[in-house]
Amino acid sequence: MTQASPPTIAPRDPNVVMRLARLGSFHQSRLSFMRQLLRRMAAEQWRFDVPAFEIDSAGVGHAVYTAHGPERAYSLVAFSHDLPPEQRSDRVIATAWDATFTLFDGIPTDADIARLRGNVPKQEAGRISDRELSLSRANRSVRLWNHVIDALSEGRQPDQSLVDTVGYLMRTTAVYGSGKFGAADREYTRHRPECAGPFQIEMLSVYLTRAFVMDLVEHMARARAPLTAVPLDPALRRRFGIGNSTGLGMAPFLINHPQLLNAWIAAREEALARVRSLPTGGAAEVEAFRTFVIRAQMHAQSWSSEHPLQVEKLDALRADMAALATHLSQADLTSDYPWNRLWLWAQDHLSMEGQEQLASLILEPHGTIVDQLASCMSAEEHTAWPIDGTMPVSDLRGIVEDVYGWALKIDWTDPAPCARVWYVSEAKLEPRLGQRFEEPLEAYEQPLGPGRDAARLHAALQDTEATTTAAFLLRRPEFRHIARRAQMAARLPYAEIRDNTLDARMLPIDMLRLKLSFFGACHFDPRSDRWLRINMYQHAPFPHELDRVTGDDWTLPPLPLAAE
Amino acid sequence: MDWSLNEIEGLARKAVRGAGYGWGHAEEAGKATRWICAAGWPGAELLADLLTRLDGVAYDDIRPESCTGPWRARLGTLCPLITGAAICDLAPRWASGETLQLGAVAAPLFLVPYMVWSADRTGVPLMLEWPGLKIIRGAGQTGIHLPDPATLSLAQVEGATLTPATSVTGLPLIRAYRAHVSADPAARLQQLAHRTYAPETEESRRAGAGAGLSDND
Repeated sequence: MTQASPPTIAPRDPNVVMRLARLGSFHQSRLSFMRQLLRRMAAEQWRFDVPAFEIDSAGVGHAVYTAHGPERAYSLVAFSHDLPPEQRSDRVIATAWDATFTLFDGIPTDADIARLRGNVPKQEAGRISDRELSLSRANRSVRLWNHVIDALSEGRQPDQSLVDTVGYLMRTTAVYGSGKFGAADREYTRHRPECAGPFQIEMLSVYLTRAFVMDLVEHMARARAPLTAVPLDPALRRRFGIGNSTGLGMAPFLINHPQLLNAWIAAREEALARVRSLPTGGAAEVEAFRTFVIRAQMHAQSWSSEHPLQVEKLDALRADMAALATHLSQADLTSDYPWNRLWLWAQDHLSMEGQEQLASLILEPHGTIVDQLASCMSAEEHTAWPIDGTMPVSDLRGIVEDVYGWALKIDWTDPAPCARVWYVSEAKLEPRLGQRFEEPLEAYEQPLGPGRDAARLHAALQDTEATTTAAFLLRRPEFRHIARRAQMAARLPYAEIRDNTLDARMLPIDMLRLKLSFFGACHFDPRSDRWLRINMYQHAPFPHELDRVTGDDWTLPPLPLAAE
Repeated sequence: MDWSLNEIEGLARKAVRGAGYGWGHAEEAGKATRWICAAGWPGAELLADLLTRLDGVAYDDIRPESCTGPWRARLGTLCPLITGAAICDLAPRWASGETLQLGAVAAPLFLVPYMVWSADRTGVPLMLEWPGLKIIRGAGQTGIHLPDPATLSLAQVEGATLTPATSVTGLPLIRAYRAHVSADPAARLQQLAHRTYAPETEESRRAGAGAGLSDND
């Protein structure tokens, strides 16, 4: 491994990075969690098998997909159902699904399967145990599902353009981990190397789900027409990802886990700073980068959405990619801090979509100085939350002015900046977003507006006679939450979203995209301002292909064969 | 029932908030309940009992009146969730050798996790004791002197002391990964947690989660 020279260019200012519009323009990168998982499994030569596939011709039954790592095995237990169309909904209020899943810690016995069959199909209404690590479900994309079964059963390959338009045969909705509904807590597995990184269990569950779904569709085509059915062509097969529908529930996670948010963003920003600090560009890296740009251009072209905001962003991204290609046709990437020069050019010529796409792209050829940062992306969350009560009140005030300066400039007596209220609904116990001045919700408000809370804290600190944070908080306990956040953000520059999460114009999808980009998702397709669809693992090698893969080069669409 | 520690922490956090505490105290109490359950002790039961007894009591009546001298509550009995948080806030004071004398305190077992965090924060071992129990934390280890296990579930003690310790002695604490909570206290905590949920209306259901385009495609 080559050693990076000490960075000469500092990571970006959190006041630039941590704005919602920019965070909502992030793209997947080498540091994304599904790429971390596949790199590990390929490097460690994980082995995969399917010890059970007991599914009838109507698609009802169960299957087990086992991933064998160096020390431990993990099994996706899949239950496949025959769902009436009128019950098919991706919303969290749904009560039945086309398929339901759990990731089992080890290899399940028949007794385990019987227990899980009584619970996993019920999802939130069932109960799993500390032998299980995740709980999830998926629904079919009906139009593509039917098309693929029709085609394969008649001995034809499905239409590639339809495959590319939809992108997946099933989309997961919730993927629950970390102790949800009785599953094992993260601390039970976090000391295992393969579980140490963020969301590795959930990413493995979804990766195996994709393999199951593809096997299922081929199985059902064979069941329909055993004499004529054909399997999918391997290259076309890889163009299927696994979809995901994600709603508001994911947004509060980022605010509730400031250390983790800091760890993710800091790793990416450090990676960007390292590459920008390289004095020269190596011939192989430059060549690889130019290819990645072409592939990213193809990705931007194939990314579709009907949502007006995303349509606008996609237009900008495509224009950005064209501008980047033109610029690269003449730009020298070999000398005089070429990546930094390119980066500075992008600041003046590309939209935020394009800038953040470029940030991910210039990391691509630099795995040797980037990938090691993946190990910095988890957080020991129990260590950093105590409040330093001995801190003088004047210091706390200084921190608030530094971290939340943007919030102190807002007139909080105006209704628009605090128009929204985050709350949890009685019915599904899920986070929701309401209108503060139109619905009686304020009494149920969740602490998800740090900017407003910091402004209130700042005002209270001006008036207090207390000299230490502890004395102040003993009298004003309502500020403990924000005082802790402020102290944490003073140590961890990217811990806090530096934007107003209560504003009338705030877009929750920006928070969702931030998180999903770190997962490694592509094709963000907002369906409203607060839920969206994505594609995961599109173009990824399947488990049985992992040993043939060299490098970590699967995410962007492959070049057409003739151009390779 | 067998609970994950995450479930216990979430339930405790919401219950404490539902009982009228601020979010900051609620977050800490959630972690404290988790810690106690991970020690194999009856954290959820103690919390349900504590919150029931203190429901409706004014914050200023159960907090330490001042953080100098012995800590006492105006109404006589300190709330361990508020007191524990203040102990943790002031960890450097106990690390520097100061002894803290507490007056009457409810559910004193709840002071333990806050004492543990204080010791971990500064690296200086601390000892918390009241009649019948002595517990020491240092170097990531917890040692217990517990002649009578009933002491763990005391609803109140008349005093407790926090002092610097030299070394960890006593039975080492073995951590658990699951919590076993009986039905009644779980139901009581769920009742309190329920106060944090907004009643559902058809309008809020539709608008709140952001219905949009059809998803049956």
